[in-house]
Amino acid sequence: MIRFESIQKVWPDGTRALSDISLEIPKGQFCIILGPSGAGKSTLLRAVNGLMKPTSGKVLIDQTVFGKTTQRRLRQRIAMIHQHFNLTSRLSVAANVLCGLLPVVSTLRALSGWFKPEQRSKACSMLERVGLSPAHLRRRAGDLSGGQQQRVGIARAFMLDPEVVLADEPVASLDPKISRDILMLIRDAAKERGTTVLCSLHQIDLAREFGDRIIGMRDGCIVFDGTPEQFTDQRVQDLYHGATWEDTPLEAETPSAAFELAHA
Amino acid sequence: MLNKPIPVPAPGTEMNWHLAPPFSARHLLVLMLVLALLVLTGHRTEMDRMLVMSGEAVGNLIGISDDSQVVRGLSRIGQSMWPPVIGESEEVARISELDRDNLPLFSRIEVQERTEQRMNLETLTLEAHSESIEVLVKPAGYVWTVFVKMIETLEIALWGTIIAVLLSAPLAYFAARNYSPNRASYTAARAFISLLRSVPELIVALILVLAYGFGPIAGVLALGLHAAGFLGKFYAEDIENADHKPQEALEAIGAGKLKTLWYGVVPQVLPQYIAYTAYILDRNLRMATVIGLVGAGGIGQELKGRFDMFQYGHVMTILIAIFIFVFVLDQLSARIRAKLI
Repeated sequence: MIRFESIQKVWPDGTRALSDISLEIPKGQFCIILGPSGAGKSTLLRAVNGLMKPTSGKVLIDQTVFGKTTQRRLRQRIAMIHQHFNLTSRLSVAANVLCGLLPVVSTLRALSGWFKPEQRSKACSMLERVGLSPAHLRRRAGDLSGGQQQRVGIARAFMLDPEVVLADEPVASLDPKISRDILMLIRDAAKERGTTVLCSLHQIDLAREFGDRIIGMRDGCIVFDGTPEQFTDQRVQDLYHGATWEDTPLEAETPSAAFELAHA
Repeated sequence: MLNKPIPVPAPGTEMNWHLAPPFSARHLLVLMLVLALLVLTGHRTEMDRMLVMSGEAVGNLIGISDDSQVVRGLSRIGQSMWPPVIGESEEVARISELDRDNLPLFSRIEVQERTEQRMNLETLTLEAHSESIEVLVKPAGYVWTVFVKMIETLEIALWGTIIAVLLSAPLAYFAARNYSPNRASYTAARAFISLLRSVPELIVALILVLAYGFGPIAGVLALGLHAAGFLGKFYAEDIENADHKPQEALEAIGAGKLKTLWYGVVPQVLPQYIAYTAYILDRNLRMATVIGLVGAGGIGQELKGRFDMFQYGHVMTILIAIFIFVFVLDQLSARIRAKLI
């Protein structure tokens, strides 16, 4: 379970990224955060594993407050899946997946790359679970396609059987078909383990299909919180275009020559 | 709901953009100043005299002018340098423990007549005395000596590079802003790197010869210390500029600094590190031939000794050897680099 208690974030330049967010996500829920770019989705996700330190308020994971002393221990239980996969592209696929174990292996083992046999077989079974073949093991991660790289990213994230998975726009740079496959993988892998997932997205249809719960964010505030059924088209319009689109009149009231040409 | 047009200025709207030309009177003024400065410094470094003397030399060579200081100087050295010394001979009487049945390879013993003018103290006249002495002649003896010195030079360069890499790797960790434990260690590492880089090898060698005595130790350390400064700076900057994304992924799961560096940064920067190290090896090979001039071992030390004894024939042999050595290594390193990258 994740609990946000009145989280605020003000960047050094004075912009308010998150204003007073309180939220509770029960164990095992697949929770999707939607909202326009700059709404604070990533910032909220990053508050969970301390990549972003909130200006005020606190995050609790199963009653433990995230802080300096608890950070190292908590981070081992929180995995992250990134928009740009964030693999070390010159390392092999196998090494990238084994990277998921780094917080728990000894420094000597990590530096020599001599992982235990059971750790190596775990990496193999994770790669098989995400739909890659043994032929991919020794390939450079950077040589794989985007979808395959994200599969490696998912395998890495689930290596330590995390209690929480943060997915920061995991399918933003993938095509619609692969996006569905990837989200299906994350959902199924999470359900098998009872993992809580907090996932930010830009695709409304995918959010409705996969989310147990949808949270709409706008300008650092939560403007919608409910089930996919409650997230109607009207809600979508409010979330994405809301006031600014309708209230800002276009400067060129008479269609310009360029516009006429384009629509001729 | 989404089909509203992107705003475009209506036709006839006045534009107040302005694009200035690339040059102005100020640029011209700066150009004049720079030219004046060049003329001044050129005069101070005797560039004008250099042009006159070189012109004279060219004129002398094509037969227009009858005398040139440059040509005279060069031809005097050239004459005394030719031919290069190849063989070596030594008086048998001066060699201790010479096994006559088992001479060194390719060498032979010759009997030479030597005639000396000596003063007869009774008659006070010069008399010619001739004696026959045995000498051990090695037909390619000096070439072999130079070859051995060249191998020593190569070894100095190699070990200088090894020491530089070993020293600069930890230095780079502390000199990389995003990995250094604190600000003090960062500043200290950067200052140390600047210090190492700022002193040329030749001067370091000069001082180290006083500390460690004549020989290769001073050479290896001089090359290693200077190159460690160079490599430390470049390694550290590569760590700072490495793609941040993989590092963030490892930081997010709490992997720890050292493991993040090893798995998130090192694989990224490794090809560049190999290129830097290859360059340093290349540079050290050339520098190793020079630092011997101050007594730090290798071919340079031999060169300095022969030069000081006015044995220009030997000097010529050494110069040819250095040329061949550097040429071959250039070809070799170019091929290895093409394979690696």
